[in-house]
Amino acid sequence: MNCTRRNFLIGGSTTLFLSGYFPKISFASMQKKNLIIISLRGGMDGLTAVPVIGDKRLKKLRKKLILEDVLNLNSDFGLHPKLEIFHKLWQKNQAAFVHATNIPYTGRSHFDGQNLMETGAHIPYKEKTGWLGRGLLASNIIGKGLAISLPMPLLLRGVPQNNNFFPSPDFVETKLIDQIYNEFKGEHNELIKSTLDTIRQRPLSMQIATDSDDRKKLALEAAKQLKDQSGPRVAVFDLDGFDTHAAQGGVDGAHADELEEVNKIVTILHENLGQAFDNTLILTLTEFGRTIKQNGGYGTEHGYGSAILMAGGLLKKSQVYTDWPGLKKKELFEGRDLNSTVDSRAVYNSAMSICFNQDPEFLRKEVFWGDQLPDLSQELFKI
Amino acid sequence: MSLNFYRRVAFGLSPNEKPDKDPLNWAINQLDTIPDLLWPGKIPTEKDLRKKYGEWVYGDREVLRKKFKNDKHAYRKAKDELRIKTGERYFELNEHAIRHFQTKYSKQPVFERFWLFWGNHFAISEKDFLAEFSTGPYQREIIRPNMVKTFEEMVQSVTTSWCMIHHLDNSESFGPNSKKGMEWGETINENHARELLELHTVSPNAGYTQEDVIQLAYIMTGWAHKWDRKNLETGDIWFDQEMHQKGDKIVLGVKYKNDAKRELAKVIHDLATHPICIKFVSTKLCRHFITDEPTDEMIKPVIEAWNKSNGNLIEIHKAVITQAYKYNENTHKFHPPEIWLMQLSRMFDLNIPLSFEKMNYTFKSKPNNRQRQLSWILREIGHSPYRAKQPNGWSDLEVDWVSPELLLRRFWFASVELPMLVKSGNRSHGFILSCLKNNFEDHENMASLIENFRFGISDYDLGQKYGVICNLPGVLKV
Repeated sequence: MNCTRRNFLIGGSTTLFLSGYFPKISFASMQKKNLIIISLRGGMDGLTAVPVIGDKRLKKLRKKLILEDVLNLNSDFGLHPKLEIFHKLWQKNQAAFVHATNIPYTGRSHFDGQNLMETGAHIPYKEKTGWLGRGLLASNIIGKGLAISLPMPLLLRGVPQNNNFFPSPDFVETKLIDQIYNEFKGEHNELIKSTLDTIRQRPLSMQIATDSDDRKKLALEAAKQLKDQSGPRVAVFDLDGFDTHAAQGGVDGAHADELEEVNKIVTILHENLGQAFDNTLILTLTEFGRTIKQNGGYGTEHGYGSAILMAGGLLKKSQVYTDWPGLKKKELFEGRDLNSTVDSRAVYNSAMSICFNQDPEFLRKEVFWGDQLPDLSQELFKI
Repeated sequence: MSLNFYRRVAFGLSPNEKPDKDPLNWAINQLDTIPDLLWPGKIPTEKDLRKKYGEWVYGDREVLRKKFKNDKHAYRKAKDELRIKTGERYFELNEHAIRHFQTKYSKQPVFERFWLFWGNHFAISEKDFLAEFSTGPYQREIIRPNMVKTFEEMVQSVTTSWCMIHHLDNSESFGPNSKKGMEWGETINENHARELLELHTVSPNAGYTQEDVIQLAYIMTGWAHKWDRKNLETGDIWFDQEMHQKGDKIVLGVKYKNDAKRELAKVIHDLATHPICIKFVSTKLCRHFITDEPTDEMIKPVIEAWNKSNGNLIEIHKAVITQAYKYNENTHKFHPPEIWLMQLSRMFDLNIPLSFEKMNYTFKSKPNNRQRQLSWILREIGHSPYRAKQPNGWSDLEVDWVSPELLLRRFWFASVELPMLVKSGNRSHGFILSCLKNNFEDHENMASLIENFRFGISDYDLGQKYGVICNLPGVLKV
């Protein structure tokens, strides 16, 4: 049985109080590298985001969902017109895609799938920590995770002292905290006290209330934090709404609206990270792709293989990295879905190894139980 | 005995309650019977709401998606109308009101704390539309009546409830050698079996293997909703022999002879009376009421009460409270946001939940802001009770609830929202002081921290006062 989150916390909680005193590993000689994960909940359709060009079968099966005006990537693949920033970065070797990829989950439940995309495991709900949290812990990077959501996402669990930012609906006067700060006495109040310290040290920009739905504002703040050499090294965004069973549409359908959100976040991160964008990797994460065939509601059902959208200066080059399985009936998973030929966890493991300066072999063992995940660092990233 | 005992095992004392001469007896005497639900408004049944669940899900899937396949705007509009018509936007709000009305006014608040505990032990996490239609009535109709029975009986009821079976996919679990499994080439879904072991009964401490999980899943095959064209997945739970794996099964070294539907009751009996299960659940109970890391010494009397009473929950609850009383003065327990809110509501007689008349719903337009208020607050403070992300429910550990944003949300609630929930007769400084005195030994020190605002009764002034008081260490924890 693997160590569950509960066990970890029972075993580790006394040391948490002390972890503020851990000697910080010196990265001063190294440029800080950022890893940003954008969770796309609901099942992102890789064939809408990065459509294969000129496939007659796809055209036939998706009559009502076919995109016109796709942006050009290469002779085989195009890009959804709402993903402009990726197209722009593609020209500069700062955007790339992994296609026909998924976590090794072939069921069709969002809940099981989302659980597995975050834990990185094979069996739903078996693990209680996220692969990113475990990766940070294994790399001894503590207190450097930033979640752009209110509950700490499962993805980041497993490492203590993450920060999270998701502004409350109104301004909170931190002077209230000053008034009671000294009341937190004794060892049993240490954890709260140190968290109050974190709040008090926040820049004013993080204290101002905003609409939590305003992703622009959230992305802007995340960029600011990530740019800071002593700030977080990991950020996690959460988007949902990719479950487009109906009126998925082509260029302007329901799926396009969601891709536009991704585009918005990446645009803001790119604009505001400045130089730090060169030392950043942005990767998307989803639970599964969608069926090839449109359904009766001109939407799509839950599928299997999808795509990972990537941006950032740590990418090796612009490319669609894929071992394309084809879309003929016998090439499809269960005769209906784009297959997955790349275990997407290999991409994430390699990305962590780049951003956390760790041996991918070591991470594979620490984070993914030694599962067979090839090191893709050479192919995908600057090393 | 410190006054914090009333918050440790309940929700503090309301302005018209006084400390009891014998707090331990006060608490223990609340556990023998099931208090009535006090909510004067509508309390729909699980079955009613399951029907609504069906109307919503199939109305969307079978009708709207097809009708508006070309028009995402028209589709969204029609879907919103269906939400209103089926109460998809409403029933969860009503359930929160029922729940918080109960914790605010119950004459047996200690019982209600155990109700919250068991609802979370047998958690239904956020999945499909269970939070909207099902988790509330499940906690009322499945968890609550079993709280005066044995733990084993509780596990039996939970395991065969529609809500849990839907939550953990047991309807999709087919014995590979069963009639339907063979015909359709289907096999088991292990979800429910795994959680029955890991979360509900013996925990990983029992050292079960993947094979144990599979064998238990075999035993559980056939317990599924009764499918028909009209009800689809919202049919009642029954035992479908044609889905059930044939043959003997072995779980944790015990052999269960091929015995169809009777296998499940036998294995649950063995799991629910397993010493490791007893220790695991006793530890969880002590963790909830005493401290994050209860010692063996704290847990031991609970295990003894369990063994002596053959798992009678009344006796177990009494033992837990006795231990909580015993260790009250030298242990600390941090309370998660919802319990904190319930305590503030009771101690300061806040205007939540909304009155039942105002919670009335016509199914003609979106629930209004007032009707949404309590659920909105719960979400904003990070603890919407039916929306745990995982089947292990909400954490009971301080470390999971202390993050910058989650603490800030408490400051936000107390300083910005709470003043608007203060009843008009309760705005004076004297009222706050009397509530503090009723609930805290160090009320004088607390009062001194808000002394500067003693003349203020505006929302802003109240916000300054409550913002400070509600977030003091002795209020965030006992």
